[in-house]
Amino acid sequence: MSQVTATPLASTENLLLEYIYKLERHRHGRSACRIRLSLLQSMNRREHHIRAALSTFDGLIRRLKGQVFALSNTDIVVIFKDVALDEVQAALIKLRFLFDDDPMLMHEDDENHPPFIEWYVVDKDYQTLLRMAQSLVNEDIERRTQDKARTEEATTAPLRQKRRDPLTPALLAKLQTALMGADLANMMRRQAICAVVGQAPPQPLFYELFFSIGELQETLLPNVGLDSSPWLFQELTETLDYRVLSLLNRHDDRSLSGDVSINLNVQTLLSQDFLAFDDGVKSNRRGTIVIELQKVDIFADLNAFLFARDFARERGYRICIDGVTVDSLPFIERGRLGIDLLKLAWDASLVEGKLPDGSLLADYVRKCGPSRTILCRCDAANAIGVGQSVGITLFQGRHVEQMLATETQRQRGGPAASARRRP
Amino acid sequence: MQPSPRDPGGPEIVTQEHLLLDAAERVGRIRDGRMAVHLHLSRLRPQNRQEGYLRVAGRMLEPMVSTYRGQIFLLTNSDIVFLVNQPSPIELRDHIHRLRGLFAKDPLANDDSGDGLDLFCTIYDLTFDYDSFIAMVKEALAEARTRVRSPHATDLKALDANGLSVVLERLTMLDAAPFVRRQSAITLGGGGHAEVLFQEFFVSVSDLQKAIAPDINLLANRWMFQHLSATLDRRLLEAMRRLRLTRAPPAMHLNLNIPSLSDPAFQGLEQSLPDGVGLGIEVQILDVLADSRAFFEAKAKLKERGRHLVIDGLNEATLTFMEVGRTGADLFKLDWTPEMQEPHRRDAILNALKHVDPAKLLLARCDSEAAIAWGMDHGVQKFQGRYIEAMLAATTMGVCDKAAACTLAQCTNRHGVITGPLRTECGNNLMLDTPPAMRTPKRKTPS
Repeated sequence: MSQVTATPLASTENLLLEYIYKLERHRHGRSACRIRLSLLQSMNRREHHIRAALSTFDGLIRRLKGQVFALSNTDIVVIFKDVALDEVQAALIKLRFLFDDDPMLMHEDDENHPPFIEWYVVDKDYQTLLRMAQSLVNEDIERRTQDKARTEEATTAPLRQKRRDPLTPALLAKLQTALMGADLANMMRRQAICAVVGQAPPQPLFYELFFSIGELQETLLPNVGLDSSPWLFQELTETLDYRVLSLLNRHDDRSLSGDVSINLNVQTLLSQDFLAFDDGVKSNRRGTIVIELQKVDIFADLNAFLFARDFARERGYRICIDGVTVDSLPFIERGRLGIDLLKLAWDASLVEGKLPDGSLLADYVRKCGPSRTILCRCDAANAIGVGQSVGITLFQGRHVEQMLATETQRQRGGPAASARRRP
Repeated sequence: MQPSPRDPGGPEIVTQEHLLLDAAERVGRIRDGRMAVHLHLSRLRPQNRQEGYLRVAGRMLEPMVSTYRGQIFLLTNSDIVFLVNQPSPIELRDHIHRLRGLFAKDPLANDDSGDGLDLFCTIYDLTFDYDSFIAMVKEALAEARTRVRSPHATDLKALDANGLSVVLERLTMLDAAPFVRRQSAITLGGGGHAEVLFQEFFVSVSDLQKAIAPDINLLANRWMFQHLSATLDRRLLEAMRRLRLTRAPPAMHLNLNIPSLSDPAFQGLEQSLPDGVGLGIEVQILDVLADSRAFFEAKAKLKERGRHLVIDGLNEATLTFMEVGRTGADLFKLDWTPEMQEPHRRDAILNALKHVDPAKLLLARCDSEAAIAWGMDHGVQKFQGRYIEAMLAATTMGVCDKAAACTLAQCTNRHGVITGPLRTECGNNLMLDTPPAMRTPKRKTPS
């Protein structure tokens, strides 16, 4: 039972701690401040106050000069590059203005009073900062355990088996707030979309960049199934869109080199953030960027999709419809939608080579275009064979990654290297 | 307190119109070779001039405008004005053409108002047209001033995750029956008769919104609403089980999410259904796509039990771009909009209608005689909507012994509810629940 505390429910604190660990080698030129909203009167720290306070740092996050952590005790920790000091100071002035009628701020000059804002120079105060983060994690765990004990008392004997709670709107709201401040760079994954013809080694065409939802879930809400509500999940992806765009906007980010695809929502394509991203992309690069749109998002507002599609194509991007399954395949005609690529998810029933209405999968692929149909989620070898048997030439998935790795190893003389390994 | 920027006594706000006037006056000194283009995007239909669309439109012009050392102004009323210096006429025409294409769905983009005047855009060659250009700019500025000073009184908040959480909580204790509405669908038979095919029962979102979240627009965020609708399903099913009508309609239709069909409440409703009363389930196309396997499984089960399956909420675009016929549904509901009768949509509509069997098509949201006339002209035989409700009420009043005490509006409203004061006010509930025999609406003879 004591292990329960090892996986705390909410983990902005954990994220902060993890971030501070990572900072150890990049301490120089960074500062941090902790804004003690928890010391304000309770009427001054309702949710909308916290949200207003957080939003003063939006610019900082967007320009990637800092990270903001909204703690569960309502405090905010901001860690930023010193170049952004003026910006942070300006935000703090705005924030003080928000709460200037609170006794906490009225007595701020009083030496006996705890400061509203604690300052840290990361280089010098690294250990203090680390200790603070550690104690925050402990406090949070304690609070959670107490909450949990209370709810467990209230309900019947809890089941031992790990069942994930469904994602609720309240949890989604928390998650969205946490995501706005979190650095998701380490959750970004890439997977190759490859041409696999016959027995020839796979040829990567482009790489899909995506956030690992599994990891996101484990880090932020380990006991919650993020996919329990398709619609709340869809809403979550809109938040993720903004994070992926801001990550890719980073000029020092090399993930955008080479041909890539990114997952976005139709509404995101029409947003200021996308236009800013588009600004940063060299015109000759656009043709190598594929935008993946979910089928439900496309059909939710076809007129918005048609508008966004025309714009994106005009700018030179290519478009791929994602999330298509063998069951939804009959409804979707890639050509009619004016989309460049279609991603079909692998499913064991594909072995039968038929759509739900009995028509042949091979006919569908021929009509859709063999070089425009991607079979994704190919986690096992047979997926490639089945796909090839109906004319598909493009594949993505764990098995494809494995094939690529084997191929790389072979080119480097891999088998010989492994033979040299000692038993 | 600082004076609000919208306070009439407050400081003047620098709008795009001000900047435009500045630029226009500067250009006035050297007019030669300068062109100005005014895109009248404010004349687009509201659904075609969403903020994102305008943003994108502005963006599409940027490269050309910067090539010809110009400027773009996004005006308060959604119009776009841009200035360019000695542009290539071909390039200018091309860009306007591409923008026009982006808005091709809107009649504005291809309407020339009959007299050759282009309503979509006005091009000013400032060498000659400077005075009329500056007059237009001044007028735009004056209009913007009044616009900024009279902001919209009440803008509802869009439903976000926090708001949804609150709404769901309020819904847990709510009896939905007062918010349940019903609407009849009719089919035109032979011999000039029309009869009620079924009654659809649904939760009125706008009335519910007024009651539990008057400051929130429950429909503003599609995903949030989709999530909410699962709870609305449960409330509707509960209310339906307690439904007491004096006479059951020939069939009852419910608008449900596919997962709700496995809810015990749905099975309970099926069991309590009176003999001889049909049951139809209406689903959204989005729900079909979200989990097509679940849809096909549900369809098989419904068919086994003789239930009808309806695809709801179709429009020209969904019919055009999606193979809806492959759902194998019994009925397809196309939402009527007045744009459907516009001449420039004719080919697109005919093309869209090709994909469905007209015998399985129902024209929904018919709120005018024009809707019925359009439907009949296009081979549609099934109709639903406010206009049909009024027709039914009028027919009822023609035969009801208590009709003298009522107005048509009262009778229509009382038809729409299943409980509450509106219903008890009616002197003849049996009449209210009995579908009247109707004459087929007459088609207007073209003059």
